[in-house]
Amino acid sequence: MLHKSLTRFHWRYWSRPWQEIDWWLLAIPIVLTLFGGAIVRSVQANWDDSDWWQHWLTGGIGVVLALAIARWRYEILVQWQWIIFAITNLSLVAVMAIGTTAKGAQRWIGIGGFNLQPSEFAKLGMIICLAALLEGKTAAKLPALIKALLVVSVPWGLVFIQPDLGTSLVFGAIALGMLYWANANPGWLILMVSPLVGAILYAVWLPGWIAWLVLMAAIAALSLPWRLAGTIAAVTANGLSGWLGIQLWGLLKDYQKDRIVMFLNPDKDPLGGGYHLIQSRIAIGAGELWGRGWGQGTQTQGGFIPEQHTDFIFSAIGEELGFVGCVAIVFAFWLICLRLVIIAQNAKDNFGSLLAIGVLSMLVFQVVTNISMTIGLAPVTGIPLPWLSYGKSALLTNFIAIGLVESVANHRQRLKF
Amino acid sequence: MLNIIEGASGDRVRMVTKMTRSPRSTDPIRYSESMAKLRHHRPSPRHRRPQQRRRWRVPPFLAGKAHPSKSRLWLVWAILVAIFLGLGVRLFHLQVRNAIAEEPPPVIANTTLPRRAIEDRNGNLLALDRPVYELYAHPHLFERSLADMAAALAPVLDRPPASILAQLSSAPSGIRLASDLSQTKADRVAALKSDGLETIRHQARLYPQAELMAGVVGFVNADRLGQGGVEASQEILLRPRATDPYFRDDLRVRLTLDARLQRVARKILQETVTRVGAKRGALLAMDARDGAMLAWVVEPSFDPNRYNETDLERLKNWAISDWYEPGSTFKPLNVAIALETGAARPDDSFYDAGRIQIGEWPVQNFDYNFAGARGPQTVTEILRDSSNVGMVRLMQEVDRQAYYEWLQKLGIGDRTGIDLPFEISGQLKSEEQFVYSPIEAATAAFGQGFTLTPIQMLQLQAILANGGYKVTPYTLVGLFDSRGRQRWQGDRGDRERIFSETTTRQVIDMMEEVVRDGTGTAAQIPGYRIAGKTGTAQKVNPNTGSYSTSASIVSFVGILPAEDPRYVVLAVIDEPDGGTGGSVAAPAVRSLIEALIAIENIPPSAIAEE
Repeated sequence: MLHKSLTRFHWRYWSRPWQEIDWWLLAIPIVLTLFGGAIVRSVQANWDDSDWWQHWLTGGIGVVLALAIARWRYEILVQWQWIIFAITNLSLVAVMAIGTTAKGAQRWIGIGGFNLQPSEFAKLGMIICLAALLEGKTAAKLPALIKALLVVSVPWGLVFIQPDLGTSLVFGAIALGMLYWANANPGWLILMVSPLVGAILYAVWLPGWIAWLVLMAAIAALSLPWRLAGTIAAVTANGLSGWLGIQLWGLLKDYQKDRIVMFLNPDKDPLGGGYHLIQSRIAIGAGELWGRGWGQGTQTQGGFIPEQHTDFIFSAIGEELGFVGCVAIVFAFWLICLRLVIIAQNAKDNFGSLLAIGVLSMLVFQVVTNISMTIGLAPVTGIPLPWLSYGKSALLTNFIAIGLVESVANHRQRLKF
Repeated sequence: MLNIIEGASGDRVRMVTKMTRSPRSTDPIRYSESMAKLRHHRPSPRHRRPQQRRRWRVPPFLAGKAHPSKSRLWLVWAILVAIFLGLGVRLFHLQVRNAIAEEPPPVIANTTLPRRAIEDRNGNLLALDRPVYELYAHPHLFERSLADMAAALAPVLDRPPASILAQLSSAPSGIRLASDLSQTKADRVAALKSDGLETIRHQARLYPQAELMAGVVGFVNADRLGQGGVEASQEILLRPRATDPYFRDDLRVRLTLDARLQRVARKILQETVTRVGAKRGALLAMDARDGAMLAWVVEPSFDPNRYNETDLERLKNWAISDWYEPGSTFKPLNVAIALETGAARPDDSFYDAGRIQIGEWPVQNFDYNFAGARGPQTVTEILRDSSNVGMVRLMQEVDRQAYYEWLQKLGIGDRTGIDLPFEISGQLKSEEQFVYSPIEAATAAFGQGFTLTPIQMLQLQAILANGGYKVTPYTLVGLFDSRGRQRWQGDRGDRERIFSETTTRQVIDMMEEVVRDGTGTAAQIPGYRIAGKTGTAQKVNPNTGSYSTSASIVSFVGILPAEDPRYVVLAVIDEPDGGTGGSVAAPAVRSLIEALIAIENIPPSAIAEE
């Protein structure tokens, strides 16, 4: 009896600093991490690697970090925004100077046997900076929006020239999501991404491109403050985008081009660029309703899919656990998103709310592009699946992100003076 | 949406707040707990927070309460629901509705990527890719005279200048001077720094062991597709799958074979085949515990580097692609069947008349003409002296229907499922014929009247050697990286129990008697206990359709060490100029066992038993 009340007392005592955190938001990522390690183990069953164990260990460190951060008051970060901004950019410059090259890009810095991938942590740096920036002045006014974009463009540019196409896309998604939440006019956001759409339409379907120009002109005229100049600028940008698209295409590395083109028609080069896409689709299709069972996937166990323990882990889940397993994973991610939106709504200030939305944008984009890539809906972009893919930097980043949002949830009560 | 105005919270916010709290209040236990917590342990926020504020120095300037507008929030929800539903629908389509497994993509030769190397179990290279160069000349671009050029190229191409000159004069452009220049020679051509000389690089397959491994390793054709052996059966493993040009892969396909043992085996087999003037021969060694092939030579062999100069018949690995009637080497399996079914015990006696009549067919022992009738013989003696009549009498104790089912269970008439291409299945009479015609069971008793491949004979003997399990023979270990670490393991077939361990022990003891004091004395090795069985089978004359009087196929199977059997060695010599399994094949097996003892460090039986 005494013992029981003692343990209860201790539990309360120790859990007090985390009284208000969102347990769902902490529990789902932990379950996903454990599950990810199990799948990594299944993928490598015929190989002598022990990555699954490392995955769990890193996940454990991540959980501890997240809990520590959740205790802290996130508001302090507002004061640190420029320091964080500087560290983020310096680490991205450092990776270009002393980084390790792999697969045609410089991405890693080796520190004491641990390969750090600064572009992963840079996502968090960007979320914090942008939230701090938009906290005081929302993006409802054009100058504030442009200022925010200028600040973001520095780390974005550094990631893009690494080149890390996948992460630079994640940056774009984070910026769009947070600007939208910070009251930016949706028309402006559409205009921001419109040249990209314009470039693709120009290359694929010319009438569509013309219609797009007209639509953009209308949006510009309705939403921009200097109506005429703005409209002309928007139309020019979209008009030029066709030419610009070809220029940008030339900037892409060969392997990136392959990946983008192959997604449209993977059967064109079944052993080369299209290999990943076809094998992944076959593996997932082979899973059918209930899957072939853990460790039973013939595509998976045959080692047909390179990178299957990292970016293509969803194909292993698809084959071994089937539609049921896939839907469970998708639902788990959806639940995380639900909690994030709830926390964003209940946060006591804009900064906290924006942090939650930044993390939401980051996760949603990564989950959707990664899963789409494995089921043949998107090109291969090298974006890992949060918590499931093997990769220490990404795993830590995701747990730290959860820690930040938990801090927002934990300290959502307004101070009573 | 964020409003800087401090104001009343909307309905949605209140509803959500309720959602996050509700589980606590609906559960009575949790509810009382939380109430207790509120009462006793948890200080009210009002008391706690200011204290924390002092500690963390919260910036005082953070703006007002977050308060999203409904329309923006709805859009976020709509997007979230739409994309996750979209993923779900696509998954449903891929996995449930359209779940016909797609065919893997066709294998298309890719000449730019090197094929993976093949190595033996110790990492010795058996097949590898290396760059070779084609040399084209375009004389109209030459800056010097044709004679000069011919003189400069002559030492590189190892050809007289005159013949090069003749070729160069034949056309202004596109003359192929060489098709497989090595890297060093291509470098020397480049050092000439002359316009009009063009080298084109491509990958060529090299087999450093030439004939030694040809039967198992196989070869690739001009399109670099595997055409035989492992090169054909492991096409998918041998082809690195590059995802992008930066993908490097140093994996090698490792085989179970041992190049040292293989070299000895080849020498023995060549000597034997030449000595007795045989048509062809095979010498195989297997680890009976799991079916791993340790040595596999067939004669005549071929050089896979020059497969296109070889007669087609020689390209096939006849140990899996041709069948033969096994003859007496099959007798131990019949004995095992008789013991297993309880039809006989090892010390039961059967009357050996030397010659008997089964219906209209006479059956006699190979030594009837000088040994005559032997009288009552134990099962061990029947096997030791390879008595046909004794075997017929023994197997008459087994119900013919049951006997037929046992032969099927052993896999007669099926393939072994070895991981090499072009395996054929043996032949077994139909069940009807076997059960109703007594001669069929009688001939099967001494290993005639059905056929199998040498590899299947090895698999069957392995059942006796490993304590009763049928294992699938295999040659592929898996993929290893350049540091020798295993990265992938091939599938192993299932083990199927056929005989009990008691039965196999009894049969091995009898087979040991064959080598100690029977037809297989030529296989004796001092200090080692070896079990074995000879076989001298009649061949069917393809012209007459009846058994030939002169052509025979002789074989010997050796199993060692007899006290704890593990290795099975089989020699099959086709159409020797006279001789029997005991005189032709047994010495070959003995020589290979001697090498196996040295390579595998098998201790002498005397020491092992002490």
